[in-house]
Amino acid sequence: MNTNNKIAWTHLTSKIQQLVVAVLSVTFGISMYIFMNGFVGGINTAFDDITFSTMAHIRVYNDLPNDEPSLIPHTTNDTIQFIHNARHIKYTEGIKNAQKIIQIAKGFTQVTAVTEQINQNVFFRNGITKVSGNLSGIDVENEDKVFGISKYMLKGHIYDLEKRNDGIVLGSGLAQSICVNVGDNVTLTTADGTHKSFKVLGIFESGASATDKSKAMISIRSARQLFSKNASYASDIQINVRDYNKVEKVSTKMAKMIPYKVESWKEGNSQLESSSMLRNILAMVISISILTVAGFGIYNIMNMTVNEKMREIAILKAMGFNGKDIVHIFLMQSLCIGIIGGAVGMGLGSLIIYIVRQIPYKIASFTSLPVAFRLIDYIMAFFFGLIVTIIAGYLPARKASRIDPVEILRG
Amino acid sequence: MEKVLSVNNVVKSFHQPEDFQVLKGVDFEVEKGEFVSIVGKSGSGKSTLLYILSTMDTDYDGSITINGNNVTGVKQNKLAAFRNEHIGFVFQFHFLLPEFSVIDNVMLPALKWGKKPIDVLRERARELLRMLDVTGQEEKKASLLSGGQQQRVAIARALINDPTIIMGDEPTGNLDSKNTKNVFRIFRELSREQGQTIITVTHDNDFASNCDRVIELKDGQIVNQ
Repeated sequence: MNTNNKIAWTHLTSKIQQLVVAVLSVTFGISMYIFMNGFVGGINTAFDDITFSTMAHIRVYNDLPNDEPSLIPHTTNDTIQFIHNARHIKYTEGIKNAQKIIQIAKGFTQVTAVTEQINQNVFFRNGITKVSGNLSGIDVENEDKVFGISKYMLKGHIYDLEKRNDGIVLGSGLAQSICVNVGDNVTLTTADGTHKSFKVLGIFESGASATDKSKAMISIRSARQLFSKNASYASDIQINVRDYNKVEKVSTKMAKMIPYKVESWKEGNSQLESSSMLRNILAMVISISILTVAGFGIYNIMNMTVNEKMREIAILKAMGFNGKDIVHIFLMQSLCIGIIGGAVGMGLGSLIIYIVRQIPYKIASFTSLPVAFRLIDYIMAFFFGLIVTIIAGYLPARKASRIDPVEILRG
Repeated sequence: MEKVLSVNNVVKSFHQPEDFQVLKGVDFEVEKGEFVSIVGKSGSGKSTLLYILSTMDTDYDGSITINGNNVTGVKQNKLAAFRNEHIGFVFQFHFLLPEFSVIDNVMLPALKWGKKPIDVLRERARELLRMLDVTGQEEKKASLLSGGQQQRVAIARALINDPTIIMGDEPTGNLDSKNTKNVFRIFRELSREQGQTIITVTHDNDFASNCDRVIELKDGQIVNQ
């Protein structure tokens, strides 16, 4: 073993109690860092899951043109035109040939799932109860890929919609407000006045209560039939991409190739993005403060050690150890504290996460508190912990290296 | 004879608590293998002079040459390496590292120098401890030894690198007469047989009178050498 390391090791092991206190302060900092970031990460993921259970990353639909239709071409300046109550009269509803759009979307490598939908407002009726809501005609398999709806089923199976043309799946709030349960019948009335009876095959709960109170799903084939549309008609095409934070890249490229409105989730949902950002910043601030406090703990202990060993440092210098050796000796001690504390802290952090994950929390679709195990948190915690220890160890070490042996030894 | 140490007009002042000149132009030379004592009343500046000679105190005017190397105005880190190789220092109080074993304490300067394999060093350290009559304590913690034993361990430590000059600030100050005699005998042998130079500050007139040469300081000046 190198002489300096040997001295550092002897210093460390001769005062076990002090070592334990120093290690514990790092342990505490690191474990809290891991826990805080895991907790916020888990909450963010849970929020994203809820958000994207009803909203895809990209939505393609047929939007009304925003500009006023110009009925009469503009003439020279000395003519005054009066047009009252201008309105669009030529508008094809929805997407006529959805298959073509789906093919284009699937051509992008970042796209993970695509599904087509027919969304319409309808009335749900059961006896005298009548509630308005949204009816979604869905392509069950792809819908499940985009929104993971099968996860949210309270009763029944979503894939049963494939088996029966007259099957319907209702949101939990909606089922409650029209007093129906699995196996009951419900009558739909469309805006065009068509009535049709459906059998309730299942009930879902996404956690977003506005959705649960108003949404119902039938298979897209039945929807086309109900609204008398052609076989490739869809009102919306929903697309998921690999990284929803980088959705704009795909959506702008896609917009150039698709003759309909291509809208990324970020348009009009910036509050979701900013709240997740704020949670991350908050977690960062809290965990860095904890690490800083832990750093002060190490600083304190190392400073105390240096003060205690003032005379020994002077002796070492008298024997021919130079300033660099002294820095090496004391920095090595704090590095050891940092590494041991970091390793124990990662273990403790995992334990805290494991325990908190067991705490029941039954709201919306949660069953227990969401905390994420993420490798990046462990790496960052160890990295930050080490930086803090090095700084906290270096300052006293530098002070030690500047000790003038004559002053100490002459007394 | 070969000159090992030459001191030219060394002046040292303290500024705290008030300006005070401790050494007022000290000049002398020491030859290889000489056994020199520096004596004087307390406050005469003898310890201050010794610390300057040891290269630990660099804040002085004048110049010092040790073994042909000018050590005045050299950087601290270089001086540390120089001390390690050329100077063995015995303090007034033993000043061992209390958490290390006796043998580790003796070996530390040699481990720092890193010139010899550890087995050789260990054997050499044992030999030195035997010579100084501290046996059977090698693996004990230094803090567990008696004051006299610790002082002898400190002397062994000063000898481990076979330094050109051995300096002692009252090295036998807290040894009994038997051990004082033993240490004196060792120093005597080292200077005669190994050609190592010994410079000690001492109050012990007996010790001083048996040296090759006595330098007497009075009020920061050499009055007799």
